[in-house]
Amino acid sequence: MTSMQFGLFTVGDVTPDPVNKTIQTEHERIKNTITIAKKAEEIGLDVFATGEHHNPPFVPSSPTTTLAYIAAQTEKLILSTSTTLITTNDPVKLAEDYATLQHLADGRMDLMLGRGNTAPVYPWFGYDGSKAVELTIEHYQLLRRLWDEEVVDWEGQFRTPLQGFTATPRPLDGVPPFVWHGSIRTPEVAELAAFYGDGYFANNIFWPKEHYIRLINFYRQRYQHYGHGEPEQAIVGLGGQFFIRKNSQDAINEFRPYFDNAPVYGHGPSLEDFTAQTPLTVGSPQEFVEKTLAFADYFGDYQRQLFLVDHAGLPIKIVLEQLDLLGEVLPTLRAEFDARRPANVPDAPTHAARVAARNAATEAAVETDSSLLEPVERTSV
Amino acid sequence: MTRIVAISAGLSDPSTTRMLADRLVESAQQQSGDVSVEVVSLRELAHEITDATLTGFAPPRLQDAIDKVVAADGLIAVTPIFKASYPGLFKSFIDVLEADSLIGKPVLLAATGGTARHSLAIDHALRPLFAYLQALVVPTGVFASPHDWGTDGTNALGQRIDRAAGELVSLLKGAGTGRAPSDDIDLFSDTFLSISRPSVP
Repeated sequence: MTSMQFGLFTVGDVTPDPVNKTIQTEHERIKNTITIAKKAEEIGLDVFATGEHHNPPFVPSSPTTTLAYIAAQTEKLILSTSTTLITTNDPVKLAEDYATLQHLADGRMDLMLGRGNTAPVYPWFGYDGSKAVELTIEHYQLLRRLWDEEVVDWEGQFRTPLQGFTATPRPLDGVPPFVWHGSIRTPEVAELAAFYGDGYFANNIFWPKEHYIRLINFYRQRYQHYGHGEPEQAIVGLGGQFFIRKNSQDAINEFRPYFDNAPVYGHGPSLEDFTAQTPLTVGSPQEFVEKTLAFADYFGDYQRQLFLVDHAGLPIKIVLEQLDLLGEVLPTLRAEFDARRPANVPDAPTHAARVAARNAATEAAVETDSSLLEPVERTSV
Repeated sequence: MTRIVAISAGLSDPSTTRMLADRLVESAQQQSGDVSVEVVSLRELAHEITDATLTGFAPPRLQDAIDKVVAADGLIAVTPIFKASYPGLFKSFIDVLEADSLIGKPVLLAATGGTARHSLAIDHALRPLFAYLQALVVPTGVFASPHDWGTDGTNALGQRIDRAAGELVSLLKGAGTGRAPSDDIDLFSDTFLSISRPSVP
């Protein structure tokens, strides 16, 4: 049981290595993703999450296949997504695929839903991108019912109706996978997470923190509004990214060519400006720890911290070295976050904890019922 | 106190675009006692504007300029005309503003060009851009070509400057369109309500 979960999230991009002038094949990239996930467990991380994309230069189009393969080769790691496209995937197939993964992984999984950011994905899957928010809401409402209700009658705008439909397999132990909703711009997604008492994740990698604070605060307020708890008890996840070496200047020198050519921010701001303005740390492990701990000052105490490490064309050797260094500071991160954490902030969600909570709630309900019966029994005696 | 911000997209230093901006600012101040004016020079923000175009967020100095523009009661936008239209730097600055930043905002449009043949660029290039942004553009646009800065006996440029600045000041004294950008989240939109009422199709 850990109060806060740490892990990796990968976009799954095949980006040329600008230093060694090499590029991984799709096969190498997919196999390296497995190596990275196994390494995550080895260094003591809790979570590995993969993106979902349906266009080059990205390889992860089939997340549950990859995650099930990783689940078979790991013991403790929680498998997740970053993100699963709730807009263009059929909610029925999502209910089935992720419930299957939940059984195979013995509950060591959850998923993060997102809208995706590639406009042509909508027409490729037969949808209209201008309806992205409506698709998100309707698809999630259906997914929820497919997991929460045994037999579903359903009719909506975007999918063929269902009559007397039962999604199989049923969720493990009758407790569906925990759901995170990932968004950095859309208040409706924060509202959806708050209404259902689900988790909310801000990728927190490319922009200054101010861009994320507004929606996280909104989610926390709406979580309270819908009666799930106090604002500080809402379930928040954050991204982050780093490149560290023992010596700060070595990290800067080594990462600069990768930064300068990176697909997202390359050929734009300087490494120095970008690290000053966004959550990226390029420096020593100590600098990385300090910057990461400050996230809780801005966003409140939170439950899950994922890092993006395998990107910008970094070779697998360097990625694994980065993970070794992360593993060395991980105990410090855990201890420092725990030390500042108020007692009323909930732990990160796990399947075991959610099953225990469901069982406790059921027992409480049974006790309430029998106490109501007592006066009846007395009069009958 | 009414706050006017002048955006100057002049690329040289000194620049006639900046000169025109300064003349418009001066005229606006003379015609309205209670006005503060600040000039945002895009040349100094050129790198930041490119960075923001690539990263999706504004570095601090640019964000400061954007905040001033969005908070202004009225704008004076002055740009050189290159190749029949405004230069990329001017458009890139407009592009990094949030979509609804200039809704309902009174704006005076002005431009400079190397030849009088560019003089309709205000009407065929700048006005459509600001119409898209739903800004409230004053009727008089001020175009200055090289000979306007000479002394041909008339003061046509000065008169246009005063007329346009007067129109802006006059608009600022009125109620404008009553529209402004809002950061508020509409909790009662159909989409929002559909979240908490999942059974309603």
